[in-house]
Amino acid sequence: GDLGPFNPGLPVEVPVWLAINLKQRQKCRLIPPEWMDVEKLEEIRDQERKEDTFTPMPSPYYMELTKLLLNYASDNIPKADEIRTLVKDTWDTRMAKLRLSADSFVRQQEAHAKLDNLTLMEINTIGTFLTQALDHMYKLRTNLQPSGSAESQDF
Amino acid sequence: LLAIPVDKVVKLYRRETWDNQVDLSDTSITQPLNVVVWSPCGQYLAAGSVNGSIVVWKVETQECIERMKHEKSYSICGLAWHPRYEQIAYTDTEGNLGLWEDIGDGKKPNDKVASAVTKDYEDLFDGDDDDYLNGDMIEPPSSPNTGANEDHGGDDDLMPTSGHPRRAVIDDDDNSLDIGMIKANSNLLEKEEEDDDDQIGGFPALPTSSTQQPFYDGPRPTPRQKPFQSGSTPVHLMHRFMVWNSVGIIRCYNDEQDNAIDIEFHDTSIHHATHLPNSLNHTMADLSTEAILLACESTEELASKLHCIYFSSWDANKEWTVDMPKDEDIEAICLGQGWAACATSALLVRLFTVGGVQKEIFCLPGPVVAMAGHGEQLMVIYHRGTGFDGDQCLGVQLMELGKKKKQILHGDPLSLTKKSYLVWVGFSAEGTPCYVDSEGIVRMLNRGLGNTWIPVCNTREHCKGKSDHYWVVGIHENPQQLRCIPCKGARFPPTLPRPAVAILSFTLPYCQVTTEKGQMEEQYWRSVVFHNYVDYLSKNGYELDENVKSQPVKEQQELLMKLFALSCKLEREFRCVELADLMTQNVVNLAIKYASRSRRLNLAQRLSEMAVEKASELATALEDEEEEEDFRTHLNAGLGKTGTPPDKEVSSNKKDPLVPSANVLDTMSKYSKKTSSSRAANKQSSPVIKPLIPKPKSKQASAASFFQVRTPGSSEKRVGEREEKARNEPPEVQVTAQDNAENKRPKTGFQMWLEENRANILTDNPDLNEAEVIKEGMSRFRILSSEERMVWTEKAKGGAVTDLTEDKKRKRPTAAEDEGKKNEEHKSEDSNVSKKKKPLDQATNVRLSSFAFKQS
Repeated sequence: GDLGPFNPGLPVEVPVWLAINLKQRQKCRLIPPEWMDVEKLEEIRDQERKEDTFTPMPSPYYMELTKLLLNYASDNIPKADEIRTLVKDTWDTRMAKLRLSADSFVRQQEAHAKLDNLTLMEINTIGTFLTQALDHMYKLRTNLQPSGSAESQDF
Repeated sequence: LLAIPVDKVVKLYRRETWDNQVDLSDTSITQPLNVVVWSPCGQYLAAGSVNGSIVVWKVETQECIERMKHEKSYSICGLAWHPRYEQIAYTDTEGNLGLWEDIGDGKKPNDKVASAVTKDYEDLFDGDDDDYLNGDMIEPPSSPNTGANEDHGGDDDLMPTSGHPRRAVIDDDDNSLDIGMIKANSNLLEKEEEDDDDQIGGFPALPTSSTQQPFYDGPRPTPRQKPFQSGSTPVHLMHRFMVWNSVGIIRCYNDEQDNAIDIEFHDTSIHHATHLPNSLNHTMADLSTEAILLACESTEELASKLHCIYFSSWDANKEWTVDMPKDEDIEAICLGQGWAACATSALLVRLFTVGGVQKEIFCLPGPVVAMAGHGEQLMVIYHRGTGFDGDQCLGVQLMELGKKKKQILHGDPLSLTKKSYLVWVGFSAEGTPCYVDSEGIVRMLNRGLGNTWIPVCNTREHCKGKSDHYWVVGIHENPQQLRCIPCKGARFPPTLPRPAVAILSFTLPYCQVTTEKGQMEEQYWRSVVFHNYVDYLSKNGYELDENVKSQPVKEQQELLMKLFALSCKLEREFRCVELADLMTQNVVNLAIKYASRSRRLNLAQRLSEMAVEKASELATALEDEEEEEDFRTHLNAGLGKTGTPPDKEVSSNKKDPLVPSANVLDTMSKYSKKTSSSRAANKQSSPVIKPLIPKPKSKQASAASFFQVRTPGSSEKRVGEREEKARNEPPEVQVTAQDNAENKRPKTGFQMWLEENRANILTDNPDLNEAEVIKEGMSRFRILSSEERMVWTEKAKGGAVTDLTEDKKRKRPTAAEDEGKKNEEHKSEDSNVSKKKKPLDQATNVRLSSFAFKQS
C-alpha cells in the first residue's frame, strides 16, 4: 500500500519491517505501542495468572513485537528491561497453561478441545508437537486392536 | 478578689482567706466557662465560655448586666477589657478577633482592630485564599492573647487583678497590630513571586465576627502575564525546551555545572544538530529554516544581547551578535523570512536583517507578551491595559514587512477566553496568524471576514484527564493539522522522555454539529476559512498549484450541493435558494436540474431567475473590468487606428502592473480571473479574425453591443440595465432574451446600413482603411434621424416584438448621449470589446436562452 506522508518530527504509521529497517539505518525513532507500558503489562500478567483459561492479549503478535522492538529499539522504549521481564512472565504462564491443557487432553483422550485467545506464536510452539504426538498415539491405538487387514504395515 | 471560672460559674475567692465568697452565674451559660477577666475598674467581671457566649457581671450586685453570644459559637479563648472604654476584645479558637462595644450599649460587634488589619490586606489586590489570609493574620494576635492568659495556667485562669489585664490588653493590641502588619507585608511579597498561575480574583472575606467597614468590592486587577517565547517551557527549569516549532527543537540544559544549548532539526537536511555552550545564559530562542536566534537579558556587567546564527549564509561568517543599549532588556524575539525582530523593555521592537543590519524600529503601546514571525509578517502581542477578574487585556499588531510595508491589525484587542492567558502565538505553515489561550482554545485569523478571529479548535475536548493539556507546537492548514503534544497533568511536557507529537483536527464551533445539516455547514465553513490562505498567498505574489486552488472550491460546492439536497428534502425551498446564492454557476445549474427533477418547479424557476441575475451581474462585472482595461489601453495606445497587435501588446503590458511582478507571470496570469485569460485568448484570436475588418457578425455584434453596452461611463448603462430589471420583473427574462436575441441577430440596423452605404463612404474617402470606414459609417449613421435608424433596425430584426424596439429606443438615447464622448475610442473599443464580449456572452447566452425558453 501507500505510506506517508513523512513529515519530519511527526509520527507516521508504517509496517513493522520498515520501521525496523529505518531504525537500523538510524533514520527514525520508534514509538512503542500503547500497551507496551509497565502498568498495563503488569495488569495483563496478573490477570493471566488468576484465570485458568487464556485471557485476551493486547495484540495477537505481542510476543513478536516485543522481541523485535526490544532488540532493535530498546532505547526508544522506557523501562525496556521491566517490559521484557513482564512479557516473559506472561508468556511463561500461558505456556504452562497450554502444557497442562494438552496433558489433560491426552490423558482423558478427548476428541475436541477449544482454546480461546491463543496467539499464533503459542499455537505454533506446541502445535506441531501436539499434532504429531496425537498422530502417533492414534496409530498405536489402532495397532492395538486386532484388525482383519493386518497386512498393512504402517508405523 | 480572685475570680476563677469553674464549670458554669465563676467563683470568687478572697485572696487572703481563700474563701469562696460568692459565685457568679447566669442562666444563659450553658457550657463551661473558660476565661475570666476583670474590668480595669474592678467593678465588672467578664467571662467567656466554650460555646462562645460572654457574660458580664457587676460584681457587687452579682447580677449579670450583659450577655453576648458569638455568632459562630466558637469557644472564646481570650478576653480583654479596654483600659478606658467599655469595650471587651475577645478572641476565639478559630483565630478571629472580635470587639464588643458594650456594656450598656448593647452588642455591637465592631471589629476595630480587625478592620485595621483588613485595610492592610485590602491593598493586596491579588485575591488570595481568604481563609489562609485570615488565619494567618488573625491567629498571631490571638495567640499572644491566649498566651498572656495561659501563662496563668489554662482553664484555671487565675485571673489577674485589674492591673494585669490592662497591661495584657495593651501588649496584645500592639502585638496584634504588629503581627498583622508583618503578615500583610509577607503576603504581599509572596504574591509578587507568583507567576502566571491562575488567579482567583477572589474577594477576601473578613472574619465573621467583625466589621461593617466598607471595603472594596469591585473587580480586581489581574497581574499581567510575563513575556514568553511560544513553544517554550518555563525558564526556571533545569532542562527545558527553548523552542519547539515545525522546523526543529532547541533545548537548554542549565544545571549548576554548565549551561548548554542543544539544537535539533526535524529535517536534518536543513542543518545538522548542534550543541552550543551557553556562556551568556541565553533564555530566549527562535528557530527558522534560515537561522537560529538567541537572546539573553542584561546582567550587571553585560548588556542584553541578541545572537544570531545564520547558517544559510554563503559567506564564511555565520553568526553575529548585537548589544542592546544600556538598561534595555530583550523580552521577546522572533524570526521571519530574511529578518529577525526583538521586543525590548523600552517598549520598542527592533528589526534586523538576518545578516545583521539594523532595520526599522517602532514603539509598542504596551509591554510585549509574545511575538511571532512568518514570511513577511510580524505579529506582536502586548498588554494594552490591565485586565480584571482573571482576564488579561492584550492587543495584537500584525504587520507586513515586505516591499510595501503596512499594518494589518492596529492593536486590536485580542479576545481570550475568560480568566485565561496567552499560551502560544504563531503562524500556520501557510502564513495565517493563530494563537492559543490557557483554556486550550485555538483561534485563527479569518481573512475572509475582515480579519476577525475565529476559534478553530478546543484542545480541552480531546483531553482525557482534567489536568491534561495539549502543548501546541505547530499548525498546518493543508492538510488541516494541529500539531501538539499531550501532557498528562501539566501544561508542558518534560524534556525526557522525548515527547511524541500528536495531531488533532480542527472543528469550528458551529451549532448542532450532531445533525447532518450542522456537520455539513461546519465542514463548508471550515473549508472556506482554511483556504483563505490561497487567496492571500496569490495576492501576495506566491505561486500556487492549480490543484490547490480548485480542490477546495470543488469540496465546498459539493458540500453546498449536499446541503441543498438536504434542504430540499426538508421542504425548505427558501433555504435552497439562499444556498444556491453561495454556489458557482455550474453548481447552480446542477441545483436547477435537481429541483426540476424532484418536481419542485417553483424552486426551479426561482433558481433560474437567480442564476440569470447572477450571470448578468457577472457579465457586467466582467465587462466593467474589460472595458476599464481596454479604455486604459486604448488611451495609452492612442487611437485604435492600427491593428490589434500593438493593442494587444500594450494591453498585455498593462495587465502586468496590476499583477505583482514578484514572480512567474504565467502562473499569475493563469490564476487571475478567467476573464483575463479568456480575454487573452480573444486577443490572440482576434488577429486571426482581423477585428477591424468588418465581418457581418462582428459588426452587428459591435453595433449591438454599442447600443446596449455601456460606454466608458459604464455606470449609466448599468443603471439603465438595472432600472430595466427593476421595472420589468416578469420581463426580466425577456430582457435577457432580448439581449440574447440582439446578440444572436444576424444583422443590426447599423450593420445593414453600413453594408449598403459602405460603398458611399469609400468613394468619399478612398484611402480609409476598414477601421476608419467603420468610424465614418458610425458617425454618419448617428447623423441619421432616429426614425431612419429604427427603419434599419426593424429591417434587421424582421419585425420582432415591439418591446425590443422600445427597449432599443430607450437604450439608444442613452447610447446617443454617450456617443458624444470620445467617439473614436468607442469604435475601436467596441470592436475589441465585442470580440471579447462575444464568446463570454455566447456562453451566458446559451444558458440564458435555455432559461428564456423554459419561461416561454
